[in-house]
Amino acid sequence: MAASGGWRQPSILPGFGLTLGFSTFFVSAIVLLPLGALVLRTASMSPADFFATVLAPRALASYRLTFGASLLAALLNAAGGFLIAWTLVRYEFPGRRLVDALIDLPFALPTAVSGIALTAVFAPDGWVGGWLAAQGVQVAYTWSGVVLALTLIGLPFVVRTVQPALVEVARDLEDAAETLGAKPFTIFRRIIFPAVLPALVTGFTLAFARGIGEYGSVIFIAGNLPMRTEITPLLIVIKLEEFDYSGAAALGFMMLLISFVMLLLINTVQAWSRRRLTVGR
Amino acid sequence: MPGIATTDHAEILRRPGRGGLRAALLRWTFIALALTFLGGLLFAPLAVIFGTALGRGLPQAVAIFADTDTRAAVQLTLLVAVIVVPLNTLFGIAAAWAIAKFEFAGKSLLITIIDLPFAVSPVISGLVYVLLFGAQGVFGQWLIERDIAIIFALPGIVMATMFVTFPYVARELIPLMQQLGNDEEEAAITLGAGGLMTFVRVTLPKVKWGLVYGIILCNARAMGEFGAVSVVSGHIRGLTNTMPLHIEILYNEYDFVGAFAVASLLTLLALVTLVIKTVVEWRSGSRGS
Amino acid sequence: MSIVLDQVTKQYQGTPVVNDVSLDIAEGEFFVLLGPSGSGKSTLLRAIAGLTSVDHGRISLRGRDVTSLSAREREVGFVFQNYALFRHMTVAENIEFGLSVRRVRAAERAKRRRELLELIGLAGLDDRLPGQLSGGQQQRVAVARALAHEPRVLLLDEPFGALDAKIREELRRTIRRVQKELGITTILVTHDQEEAFAMGDRIGVMNLGRLLEAGRPTELYSRPATRFVATFLGAANLLLRRQALNGTALPPRGRAAPAPAPADGPRPREHEVVAVLRPEEVELAPSADAAVGHFLGRGHVEEIVFTGALERLRVRMPTEDAGQSIPGCIDCATTVLLDVTRTQAEQRAFPLRHGQAVAIAARRIHVLPTPLSSFTAFAAGEAAAVALARHPWLTALAAQMQTRIAARIEPSLDGTTAAGEPEAVVGVSVIGTGPGCADQVRWLLAHQAEEILCLSTRERAPARVVIYCATPAARRATLAVAASLLRHVPAEAVYVQILPPEEADGPTATAVRGLLDVRSEARDAHGLDVRTELRFAEPGEALLAELERDESGMLILGIDHDSGVTPELSALLDRPAAWPVLLV
Repeated sequence: MAASGGWRQPSILPGFGLTLGFSTFFVSAIVLLPLGALVLRTASMSPADFFATVLAPRALASYRLTFGASLLAALLNAAGGFLIAWTLVRYEFPGRRLVDALIDLPFALPTAVSGIALTAVFAPDGWVGGWLAAQGVQVAYTWSGVVLALTLIGLPFVVRTVQPALVEVARDLEDAAETLGAKPFTIFRRIIFPAVLPALVTGFTLAFARGIGEYGSVIFIAGNLPMRTEITPLLIVIKLEEFDYSGAAALGFMMLLISFVMLLLINTVQAWSRRRLTVGR
Repeated sequence: MPGIATTDHAEILRRPGRGGLRAALLRWTFIALALTFLGGLLFAPLAVIFGTALGRGLPQAVAIFADTDTRAAVQLTLLVAVIVVPLNTLFGIAAAWAIAKFEFAGKSLLITIIDLPFAVSPVISGLVYVLLFGAQGVFGQWLIERDIAIIFALPGIVMATMFVTFPYVARELIPLMQQLGNDEEEAAITLGAGGLMTFVRVTLPKVKWGLVYGIILCNARAMGEFGAVSVVSGHIRGLTNTMPLHIEILYNEYDFVGAFAVASLLTLLALVTLVIKTVVEWRSGSRGS
Repeated sequence: MSIVLDQVTKQYQGTPVVNDVSLDIAEGEFFVLLGPSGSGKSTLLRAIAGLTSVDHGRISLRGRDVTSLSAREREVGFVFQNYALFRHMTVAENIEFGLSVRRVRAAERAKRRRELLELIGLAGLDDRLPGQLSGGQQQRVAVARALAHEPRVLLLDEPFGALDAKIREELRRTIRRVQKELGITTILVTHDQEEAFAMGDRIGVMNLGRLLEAGRPTELYSRPATRFVATFLGAANLLLRRQALNGTALPPRGRAAPAPAPADGPRPREHEVVAVLRPEEVELAPSADAAVGHFLGRGHVEEIVFTGALERLRVRMPTEDAGQSIPGCIDCATTVLLDVTRTQAEQRAFPLRHGQAVAIAARRIHVLPTPLSSFTAFAAGEAAAVALARHPWLTALAAQMQTRIAARIEPSLDGTTAAGEPEAVVGVSVIGTGPGCADQVRWLLAHQAEEILCLSTRERAPARVVIYCATPAARRATLAVAASLLRHVPAEAVYVQILPPEEADGPTATAVRGLLDVRSEARDAHGLDVRTELRFAEPGEALLAELERDESGMLILGIDHDSGVTPELSALLDRPAAWPVLLV
């Protein structure tokens, strides 16, 4: 095994060939081959057709909604998620452990279930929606409904990245800052926040990336009006239902491209935060 | 000597000069804000699911499961999970072993590819299979000639689900196994244990809670996947309808009690998943300290 | 005084982690708090800094009571074991932090920072991030940061813990130099006795939440007052020795007795003490006559280890009372193992090999002032005596005190008649509580027992110790015993004074003054800080009420040995109680 060239460091542990072989095969069959089909399909289109599809007004409107709503939802989550993480780490209150456990619910709950539940709550005849309607605000079946659904989906990302950072970083440095004479708000602004910022950015990026691809929870509450409340994944489904495979592939290719960029961004952010947090230990 | 429990952040509030009215006010404002945020976004939908399902009484909610289409959906969902979860567990273990125990060129590429399904929209996860096996797909003609159905049939649903859920086990195991290092495994090998023996007797006991967590997350997602399955299923009632798809159909037919009754079943599954997760974290936490 | 602690107590989940610590530290003094991990030293330091609240007691810094002030208002400099540098700030920003939160002008900050960097020997590293520095450099920066705002006191919490030996040495020197130059009052917390010796003007030794002793390093080493300090500061052999009550040593056995012949008159009343014998003070010689020091006995070499400059030996020697057989003693050790170190010169003068017989003498022996030497369990039958000697709390306590428990059968114990002249009763006598206890106490008192511990069946250690003197004459001895015991028991201690109820309306000033006297006597003479309480009640009833308040109490009761067991006392002893009683 060690003779198999310089591409791996020798190890006495067995099973390298078997496990790597199996993993590679599995990954190829389940992920790479299908994704290859998507790229192939897109490549077989003429450039004119491709651009006509991905730059169609309806497509552009869907990008705007998908990105805008994801961005807004991620921002909302950055603020709300930080607040929740702070409260869970810092304060003792009845039911804290239950709330802490329930934060992960959007991870575990099927998106379709989140979708219909949110719609039921925020529809004009729902619990919250009814009250909002009385104030003249409509959430369900508008773009703000999309934001709401994406906020729910992205919430655990921010809370779960910020929470451990708060636990780990605060105590020691906070003690030091306090003995040096800093007031609580100064400690927060100058010590805690900068230390937690990388985690917050990571959580924000993760929530943002998740929002862009989200489908199940959005379509129930969005209303799905072309040009107004139609997200890109829904547009792909519509193209498929019209048997416009090429159109669906082209839009899918665009989203895949975006996903790659997001993945790159997340990795960069994480590497940056790791560097910031682990130096000096 | 680290003194007393250093992770107890609530202790800070009991320090001298910290117990003022302002601090208490600030604390309760924060708690109220956090709970309001969560209340509207998380607790209200959770309550509405069970509230609507049971709105006309328990018998009414249970009645939906007597419907043959609903039962077919439940059975299909279970079948998919039974196929997908073991396969992905096997893959997760293999990938984690290769990645965590060895250094080789292309490792970070492999990790990135494993992460890919997390970053890809579920709709695309379905779409790629349609492009591959659908009527106009790469293998479409070939499959039609041999009368093999993949899209709008069970194989398509299984594959799309597999795509969506396959990072879960690997993603839980890799960091855990990397963190634990190779020392114990190397010791086992030098003592004459074989590869399988080393894994079962040395590695598995250390990572079992992570593995359990990965499997239950994988299972929850496999049973609850909507977007990817929606694209490849064709929504044929009684045949290719999984539970989440069935919820959509019932909901669109204004059978809210039925939709939420099925939804509450999936919600219970999610809650059980969270309970197991909490127990796992608690177990591994108390074992670690 | 720069730092004054007054009965500082901090409880954690019901047990005191810092227990009634009082301490005065002078201006400019370098004070080291030394103790094993879990002794409460770090918690005490954090309490001084305001990073932990205290449950009881006061803390003042430079004459200002800071007990209820937050850490930020206390003006202290704190250095943490793991540096706690702000990793997203440069060295300069870290050092200037304390000044910038005080809104000091930038130019002044920079000036101060450059001075400090110069002082700690890191000039020019201003713009580095902490991550780019070595561990030793980071800790220097942490020291500079703690000093920047010119704090009243500098508190160092195991600052060298994470560093390797050579860097530690260097940093110690730097900190000592900086401390002297600035003349800043400093407390250093450490578990390393060598470090304590090297740095401290004074050392305070903590164990189980109590500050046992404080003093100059040489004083503590040569004249420790407690077993713990004797053994924690360097190696020590603890020996049980018999003395005549007037303080003169009894003739050593194994050598012809030149002492006054016991024939004319009664045998002098014997008394057991705990003696500290440092390994380097042991003299090994070919014969008793060749030894210069005080002859202890004969033994043989069991182990020799060469460690470079010194030779370490273990020598087995019969115990002092091994020669005589105590009737009824079933659990008495007959030999003791001594740790001995010898210099190269000593080795050359008298080379030794394994198994060789030697005469053992002491160049210098220090007797601990503790009145609690060893335990002897008394019972009329063997099973009962052994059961008492195996009592879980007693064995734990004896292990803590590094002393022994013997078991003795005295068939006449339950009766009142003393058959013949039994061997003298020394150390603490242990009996069981319950019916018949009072009679046993009577027997023991008749045989000149000094301390009697009546053990209940409860196996847990007490969490609350009540001290009460039935007669003022017993106060001194009672406090000494209480102090000695409490060093080994992590419990709260209260000294109660009980006055008859009819005096409640009268002038109580005398009583209060009496209590203050008790506090200062306990503190000055015995190094114990107790809380005091005044009650108005019938003493017997009040004591019962006091102890029945919680299950985990213990009573230390000072009685008049001459008047014997009063009916009141007898009632108290004979009832089956959950709490142990120690009679003095």
